[in-house]
Amino acid sequence: MQLGIQVSGVSRAFGSVQAVADATLSVLPGSVTALIGPNGSGKTTLMLMLATLLAPDAGTITINGHDPATHPQLVRASMGWMPDVLGSWPSLTVRAALETTGRMYRLSRATATARADELISLTGLEELADRPSRVLSRGQKQRLSLARALVHSPSVLLLDEPASGLDPAARINLRELVRRLAGDGTAVLVSSHVLAELDEMADAAVYLTNGRTASPEALARAGASSRAWRIRSLDAPALASALTAIGVSPGITSVDKLGTLVQVTGEAAAVELLGRLIRADVPVCDFGPAVGNLEHTFLDLNRGTDVMEQGS
Amino acid sequence: MTTVTTGSTPTSFGVWISGLWLIVSLELRQRVRGTAWYVLLGIFVLLVALVTTLLWAATGASLVGGGGVFSLIVFFVLLLGTLVSPALSGNAINGDREAGTLATTQVTLISTGQLVLGKFVAAWITSLAFLAASVPFLIFAVSAGEVSAATIGTSIVVLAIELGVIAAIGVGLSGVVTRPLFSIVVTYLLVAALSLGTLIAFGLLGAATKATTTSTFTPVLSSDFDPETGEQSNVVCGPAETTTYETPRFDYYWWILAANPYVVVADASPGVFDEYGSPSDSFAWIAVSVRQAQTPPDLATEYNACEEASSGYSSYSGEYPGMQGPGPTQQEIYDSALPSWFVGLAIHLALAVGALFWAWRRTLTPARRLAAGSRIA
Repeated sequence: MQLGIQVSGVSRAFGSVQAVADATLSVLPGSVTALIGPNGSGKTTLMLMLATLLAPDAGTITINGHDPATHPQLVRASMGWMPDVLGSWPSLTVRAALETTGRMYRLSRATATARADELISLTGLEELADRPSRVLSRGQKQRLSLARALVHSPSVLLLDEPASGLDPAARINLRELVRRLAGDGTAVLVSSHVLAELDEMADAAVYLTNGRTASPEALARAGASSRAWRIRSLDAPALASALTAIGVSPGITSVDKLGTLVQVTGEAAAVELLGRLIRADVPVCDFGPAVGNLEHTFLDLNRGTDVMEQGS
Repeated sequence: MTTVTTGSTPTSFGVWISGLWLIVSLELRQRVRGTAWYVLLGIFVLLVALVTTLLWAATGASLVGGGGVFSLIVFFVLLLGTLVSPALSGNAINGDREAGTLATTQVTLISTGQLVLGKFVAAWITSLAFLAASVPFLIFAVSAGEVSAATIGTSIVVLAIELGVIAAIGVGLSGVVTRPLFSIVVTYLLVAALSLGTLIAFGLLGAATKATTTSTFTPVLSSDFDPETGEQSNVVCGPAETTTYETPRFDYYWWILAANPYVVVADASPGVFDEYGSPSDSFAWIAVSVRQAQTPPDLATEYNACEEASSGYSSYSGEYPGMQGPGPTQQEIYDSALPSWFVGLAIHLALAVGALFWAWRRTLTPARRLAAGSRIA
């Protein structure tokens, strides 16, 4: 039995709109995979198909070896889904909502109660445990939603925009929790717009554009393309003159309040640039990629499609 | 970490029922939310109390018995139940979809059947609460006497079933129609179609379908009357006179009335008649009226006065051989006609089951076809 998530050539249309055209990905147990794509690229549709709610038009999905379209009950027993919309029973308390969800997964009453307590402390909702969920803020509801997805200790976890509305402390907690779950052997697929955060959380990334997952070749191309590095110096004029002397054209540099942005192709070129700046006695105090790996690839892939669309 | 502990119930049926009951109790906690609902129930009790008092005074129940008061309270509960139930049940499924709580239930081990049936049972229990609140007044009416146990039993059971039918239609439509407001309105329209639409359809169709009735009368032009024997001789007959006129054919359409919930409740109760064969409660009145409509009109009436005169009838004997005696009593009409309530109840149950089945089909996951503009989560 193949554990984790396997998706191969999946497509789904709503009328004339092709939401997911050709998606292929796999998430192994114990790993966190980021699902990245612009709005409307089909992330949520793909999540809904994995979550047994929507049947694909074509392609195959297996979750822990079971097909969600034909054996939804088997998939549901071991799959946790945190939706992108906040839905909670407004008049139930946080504790009651978690207990009820546990009972829906056929936990015994005692187990459900114990599990609810566990999850309340895990997600930091202790003080709100006996308040009705309609009084929760967006971020608090988001935490309840995460707790609900974990009620039956699933071995496959689908998180759709889990970080939206969370404060920085809660984001860090989320990141640590997701890493810990992966450490325990859970296969996690997480979609988010906060790419910097996924950078720290995910082992692998899947890019979805117009319903298609990016091919390995496109990813390699995107990774190798030039990207912006941010350089900050204690002596800004000296940095500017050194960059001009090195031959970095002013046209591909820009200056913001955090430093100077320079387009560099590949890490080897960055190392060389840094060496030359140091040798020119420029007091460099900050030198690093301006955007994370995921963001860089994401932007590059989408720039590619924009060009293609303009060309066609 | 990845094991799912099975609940304490050992059989799969037990698991299914406990899942169903979980949905029922969740629905009751969600929808029967505190104050507003109890205020509604309080207003309902006040209205029933007011109606009971007025009926008591109006019918003189302390003298003639509580049958009239009892049957009218049952109707009043049915009226208020049909007014309240669609609002409480008509957004059960699509309301959850809009609130984002439907999909989070569907990804659990709760099946679509448990979800739809659970919501129906909860809606039914909610409307039965209104019936339960009116029980003191029903007991009060019964205490005035003259209400048979059979009437009490059947009318309350049939009323409870009718409330269930409306709950099922409301929950069913909420699974079929995408927008909550629209499904509530459609439920109200369907309830109105059954309660008022059947009356209108029956009246209009019956009145529009006319049959020609011929009436033939053969008069006596002259005769000699012997006052001692009371017999006539030398009877001279006139020519037969035929008149025609149009009669509405309600007998073709009586079954439409059978689908009316008030008629079902009334007709299902055993008819109670007084010593003159007249109905003694409003159930029997309605049942007689509906069953009367089954009798086809006499399309050719004939009265031959001439033949009567020749065959010699005595004006003193009071016998009119050619004419019908005093018409059948209402009890006789009631007893000779077909009871219609099980036809109506069967129509209602088919509607209820059909609505729930349709909702189940539309709520099945993984979804293959989605209605335009609807979303899953």
